[in-house]
Amino acid sequence: MAIDTGLLTNIGFYVSIAIVFSVLALGFNLQWGYTGLFNAGIAGFFLVGAYVTAIAITPLSQPLIIGGVTVVPGHLGGYSLPFVVGALLAMVASGLTAALIAIPALRLRADYLAIATIAFAEILRIFAINLESTTGGTIGLPLIPPLIQYVPADPFLSAVTFVAIGGAILLALLLVLQFMVESPWGRVLRAIRDDEEATMALGKNAYRYKLQAFALGGAIMGLAGALFAVALLYIEPSGSFAPAVTFSVWVMVIVGGAGNNRGAILGAFLIYGMEWGSVQLKDLAPAQLRDTIFYIRIMIIGVLLILLILFRPEGVLRERKRALR
Amino acid sequence: MHADSILRVQDVQKAFGGIQAVDRCTLAVFPKSITGLIGPNGAGKSTLFNIVAGLYRPDGGEIWFNGARIDGLPPYEIVRLGLTKTWQIPHELRNLTVLENVVLAAKENSGEQLLNLFVRPRRVQRDEKQWRARAREILALTQLDGLANEHAKGLSGGQKKLLELARALMSDPAIVLLDEPVAGVNLTLAANLMDLIERLRQGGRTFFLIEHDMNVVMNRCDRVIVMHQGRKIAEGTPSAVKADPVVIESYLGG
Repeated sequence: MAIDTGLLTNIGFYVSIAIVFSVLALGFNLQWGYTGLFNAGIAGFFLVGAYVTAIAITPLSQPLIIGGVTVVPGHLGGYSLPFVVGALLAMVASGLTAALIAIPALRLRADYLAIATIAFAEILRIFAINLESTTGGTIGLPLIPPLIQYVPADPFLSAVTFVAIGGAILLALLLVLQFMVESPWGRVLRAIRDDEEATMALGKNAYRYKLQAFALGGAIMGLAGALFAVALLYIEPSGSFAPAVTFSVWVMVIVGGAGNNRGAILGAFLIYGMEWGSVQLKDLAPAQLRDTIFYIRIMIIGVLLILLILFRPEGVLRERKRALR
Repeated sequence: MHADSILRVQDVQKAFGGIQAVDRCTLAVFPKSITGLIGPNGAGKSTLFNIVAGLYRPDGGEIWFNGARIDGLPPYEIVRLGLTKTWQIPHELRNLTVLENVVLAAKENSGEQLLNLFVRPRRVQRDEKQWRARAREILALTQLDGLANEHAKGLSGGQKKLLELARALMSDPAIVLLDEPVAGVNLTLAANLMDLIERLRQGGRTFFLIEHDMNVVMNRCDRVIVMHQGRKIAEGTPSAVKADPVVIESYLGG
C-alpha cells in the first residue's frame, strides 16, 4: 500500500464529523424545522449521548495518581458493551432527558423553552466538568474503543470504517425520518408549527405531539453523541459540548433549509466544511493570515448567514409543497 | 331553560384583568337551527365562542353540549364530541396546502398516531386515502377544489373564510360555531355560503353564528340572541329582536 493516505484520512475525518453534525441537524430539524420547538440546548443532549456511550463501551479506567497528584481521575464505566448497545442506551437516555425537560417547559411560551434548554445544557456541562467520579472531569473519557480495532493501528482504515458505518446509520435515519414527517403524524407537527391554537381547535392534542417530537429529536441528538464518541475515541466537556455546538447546528439547519431533512444534512456538510477547510488552509495561508484565518471563517459564516436570510430565508433546499393526490 | 337544547350556556363568566368580557351569560341553542349571535363590538361574543370551544377557561358557570358538561375540557376533546368553531380572523395553516388543511381536520385518522405508522401501515394508508377523498368532496362543496394543492397562505381573505368552513365540516360536527363567516366575503360568494349552510342545516347540523351583516342575520337565522356587555339582553325571532326597544338602543341604533 504505497498510496499517500494522509490527505484521504483527513478528508475521512471531515466526513466523519460532518456525519455527526448531520445527525444533530436532523434531530433539531424534527424539533424546530417541522414542529417549531426552538431547542437552545442541543449540546446538552449531544453530551448525554456521548457520555452514556463512552461509559457503556469503554473498558475499566483506573485512577492514575503520580506523587499525590491526580493525573487521570478515572471514571464510571468498564462495562465494555458493544457499540450498538451503547448507542441505544444513548438514545434512550437523551430521549428521556428531553422528555423530562419538555414536560414542564413545553407548557411555557416558545422563548421560555429556549431559555430552559440552554440553561439545562450548561448545567449538564458543568456537571460533566466537576463530577469526576462519573465523567473523568476536565480530563474526560479517553480510550473509547473504535468501531473496529485494526492491528496495527491504521488511521485511514479507521476513518473509512467510520464513514461507512456512520454513513449507513445516517442514511437509515434519514429514510425513517422522511417516512415519519411525510405521514399524517408529520402533518400534525407542521400544523402545530404554523398555528398551535388552530391545530388544537381542529382536534389535535398539540402538547402530546410536541412532547413526541421533542423527545425523538433528543434521542436523535443522543445518537449523534454516540457516533461522536467513536469518531473521536476521546471526549472532554469543555469544547465539544459548549453552547457554540448548539449555535453551529442552528446555522446548519437555517442554511440547509428548515423543514427539509436533506437540507439539514447539506447544511451540516457545508458549515462544518468551512470549519474544516479553514484548518486545512491554515498551512497554505500567508504567514500574516495564519493566526486570523479562524476568525475570518466566523466572519464569512456571519456574512453568508445575513445574505441568506435576506435573499433566501427558506435555506438552500426549501421545504417542498406537498401536492396530495 | 329548555331541556331540548343542543348547547346550553349557564351563568358563564370570564374576565380579562379588570374587564368583565362575559358576565353571567346564559343562553341556549336548539338542534338543527341557525341561531345568530349579535351585539356591539366588545359585547363578548367571540370570547363566549372561545370559551365554548375550550380555548379559554371560564371563571365560572357551566356549558352543556348534547347532555355532557364540556366547560374545562381541552379544545381537542370538545371537537371530538362534535362541536367545532371557526375563527373570526382566519387561522389557516399557512405552509400546508388547502387540501392538507382540510384533511388535518378529520377526527379519526389512524396515521396521526406515531405507533400506527409502524404497526398498522395498511390501515394508515386506507384511512388517509378515505379522508383525502372526503376532503375533496368538502372542497368541491365550498368551491375550493381548484385550489386544493395551493399553500393556504396564498388564498384571498374570502377564500380563507371558505377554508375555515371546509375544515369545520371535515370534523363532521353536530354544531358549528361560525365567527363572522361572511365578513370580507363578496356578496355572491356570501350568498352561496349561506345557501350551503342552509342545506347543511336541513341535513341535520346546527349552526350558531356571530355576524354583523344584518341581511344575513334577518334573512337566514331562525333565532337571534343579542349580547351586550357580556350578557344576553334579548332573544327571539329576527323580526321580534329587530323590534325590541332594548336592542335598538344598545345595538341597532334608532
